Amino acid sequence: MRAVADWFFRHPVLGAGFFILILPFITPYTALAVMILVYGLYALGFNIMYGHVGLLSFGHSALLGGGAYACGIALVHLGLPWGACILAGTLAGTLIAFVMGALAVRTRGIYFAMVTLALSQVAYFGFYQAEPWTGGENGLRGVNLRTLGIPGLSLDFTTPAVRYTVIGLLVWGAVALLARILASPFGAAMLAVRENEARAKACGFDVRLVRLQAMTLSGAFCGLAGALLALHLSIVPIETLHYTTSGVAVMMAILGGSNTFFGPFVGAAVFLFLESVVSTRTEHWPLVVGVVFVLFILLARQGIWGTLVARLR
Amino acid sequence: MTILGFPPDLLVLQAFTGLALGAVYVLLAVGLSLIFGMLTVVNFAHGAFFMLGAYAGVFLLAAGGNFWVCLVGVPLLVGAVGLFVERFLVRRLYGRHIDDPLLLTFGLTYVFVELVRIGWGKQALPFDAPEILQGTVDIGIGYFPLYRLFVIGVTAAVLLGLWLFIERTRYGLIIRAGARDPTIVRVLGVDVGRVWLLVFGLGTGLAGLAGVLAAPLQGVSPEMGTTVLAEAFVVTVVGGMGSLVGGIVAGLLVGVTVAMSALLLPEMSKVAMFLLMAVVLLLRPQGLFGRAGLMS
Amino acid sequence: MSGPILSVEGLGMRFGGFRALHGVTASFPARMLTSVIGPNGAGKSTFFNLISGAFAPSEGRIAFEGRDITGTPQHRFAALGIAKSFQITNVFPALTALENVRIAAQALVSRHDVWRRRDELPGLAEEARSLLEEVGLTHRAGAPAGSLAHGEQRSLEIAMALASRPRLLLLDEPTAGMSPKETVVAMELIRRLARERTVILVEHKMKLVMGISDRLLVLHHGELLAEGAPEEIRAHPEVRRVYLGERA
Repeated sequence: MRAVADWFFRHPVLGAGFFILILPFITPYTALAVMILVYGLYALGFNIMYGHVGLLSFGHSALLGGGAYACGIALVHLGLPWGACILAGTLAGTLIAFVMGALAVRTRGIYFAMVTLALSQVAYFGFYQAEPWTGGENGLRGVNLRTLGIPGLSLDFTTPAVRYTVIGLLVWGAVALLARILASPFGAAMLAVRENEARAKACGFDVRLVRLQAMTLSGAFCGLAGALLALHLSIVPIETLHYTTSGVAVMMAILGGSNTFFGPFVGAAVFLFLESVVSTRTEHWPLVVGVVFVLFILLARQGIWGTLVARLR
Repeated sequence: MTILGFPPDLLVLQAFTGLALGAVYVLLAVGLSLIFGMLTVVNFAHGAFFMLGAYAGVFLLAAGGNFWVCLVGVPLLVGAVGLFVERFLVRRLYGRHIDDPLLLTFGLTYVFVELVRIGWGKQALPFDAPEILQGTVDIGIGYFPLYRLFVIGVTAAVLLGLWLFIERTRYGLIIRAGARDPTIVRVLGVDVGRVWLLVFGLGTGLAGLAGVLAAPLQGVSPEMGTTVLAEAFVVTVVGGMGSLVGGIVAGLLVGVTVAMSALLLPEMSKVAMFLLMAVVLLLRPQGLFGRAGLMS
Repeated sequence: MSGPILSVEGLGMRFGGFRALHGVTASFPARMLTSVIGPNGAGKSTFFNLISGAFAPSEGRIAFEGRDITGTPQHRFAALGIAKSFQITNVFPALTALENVRIAAQALVSRHDVWRRRDELPGLAEEARSLLEEVGLTHRAGAPAGSLAHGEQRSLEIAMALASRPRLLLLDEPTAGMSPKETVVAMELIRRLARERTVILVEHKMKLVMGISDRLLVLHHGELLAEGAPEEIRAHPEVRRVYLGERA
């Protein structure tokens, strides 16, 4: 067991690949597995800020939602090819994160959560009112991607297996990229800023710039997750942009363990799995998740994956 | 004569409407700031306490009380919930990272909202102002809804009471000292735990009062605290975290901004306050009345 | 003797209505150990924070190697060639001692690069190891910095400061909170470091620095009271009055 765990921790990318490979076989239906991939990526992206830079954001809904809308609009209104739609979503997340970050990194500590939350509401109301493009209150409907044109190949995206494979490959690529970024010199800069702001400055790191860069990166990952979400759901509900969606990322990261690389992904899996089980039995899922989350904060701050890592290492 | 295409009395009346809206923000922001200034806890459940205030009003009315009973009873009931939350939950997190109490109270919002849904259903409920406060009154420049005037008056009275409490009582002295430097309170040899408890109860009680005051203006629903929380955060960021004066000035400023933009630039009214916040962040990141040191 | 490496002119700082430092003009010769001393509230910490870039001065100018650096943001100081250690121990607690120094060394060569792997950056690990050796922490390289003893953390901080290869090293009460034994070791280390670079030491305890300093600056009530060689300072009537007065 220890050897397996050690291998997993030493090769997070291969470990993630393995996880993505077996996920559809341990979930009751493929759509849930796809949701876990997408929200797992979203939670990982969120955790760039929370776990790796040490800033709690409640504005990530704007990054996920912005990515989803941009991808949807590119498909529905502009009729762009699917690759361009996904790229549009990623870029939208990046851009929104940059703007939000440029304002929010002017503040520090606990302010960051409040400011990002407030700024995400701007995105919410903005998209809400841009009805001709976004569908307003009803959300953006008709994000229907039926066939994936890859040179020499045409895939039926409505087939669960195809959908899972395509999204799984993209998510895996993103996870690998993120692991690589965390191992880069910039990864060390994030670590330094999280651990000790004053010391990081004295070492020569421009703390604000590191935070802004991290936020922008975080936006790219969350924007990609948003784009995949739009393609998977065929609709972008306006609630995606609401700050309660940011709260979902917060909960996932903490349930899984925000101090580990893979924790947020595990948190997303547990969260969505629990939701699918509990929601069929009671309509009071929010009560359950609220209580569970409070208990984790009080008693298991390391999260599920974090506790496992600590036990097995 | 018109200004920006509107007669001046209409603009003044609209600004007055903004003050009534702002009064609710002030009560929220003052509670949030009190709690933060003393405990360095960002009470994410502040919107949920606001919502609980409205439902506590519904509860008291159903139990045979009237609106005046609500005005006194609601802050006490909601404050009592606040006391419970501080004593048995938030208190366990002192000494941990500053984000932890925020996260805990964030989780509590789900619990509160869902419990209210179980108790009173998901539908929005009407909540009428008492008959004596309905209708309008001539305030010299035009007719103004009496109830809004009443909200402004109650807020002013509460602030006056709060000011007397903080300036004239022993607890107030401790709160003032503690907001300036939390370690000082320990040196004073006070039972800090009791002060924290009291402040949390006071802050949440004010949120509850804001909720029941706002109920006749916007109705009562389990989600009513969600938007209000974002708005309270904006007010707090604009005013400066931990500053009571900042909360009061920013609350009124945000209220007037919202009301005026609804008249002048209706399509911008939802985001006007956020733009105001963005401007403040660019020019004075610590907020209008905030001290730079409090931000870390 | 070469020209001054650092000079300040009319340096002053106000916090609201409070004048913490006023009109300090002084220069620090290169490759010397200069200590800035003074009783509590003399403005030592403010002085340190100004010359290390933590605050921008409200009046006056600071020049490093003949270049005006007044108002330069803190994070540029390492690249300029100025490093500091804090009065309160300030390390990356969850990272190992080696990783602490390695990050400090990396900060000089690469900060925002996301494409390379940081273990491919040449020479950093070796440099970090040799710096740990220099401050006598080789045996603790793998321990989380937060778990080190107080004296060890202070030494680690010095190693981190050295990682940016500073020509000017600023130390703020480096022996604060150390045991007498640790203090002796630390003073020995500082004296050794001062052989190869300029060191400015801010210290409360006059006795401690008398023996190792080439020059001393005495601050009192936010103003420069005296400067000179240790013997001159010891004989200086004003300084004696201030320090004796404090003792009484």
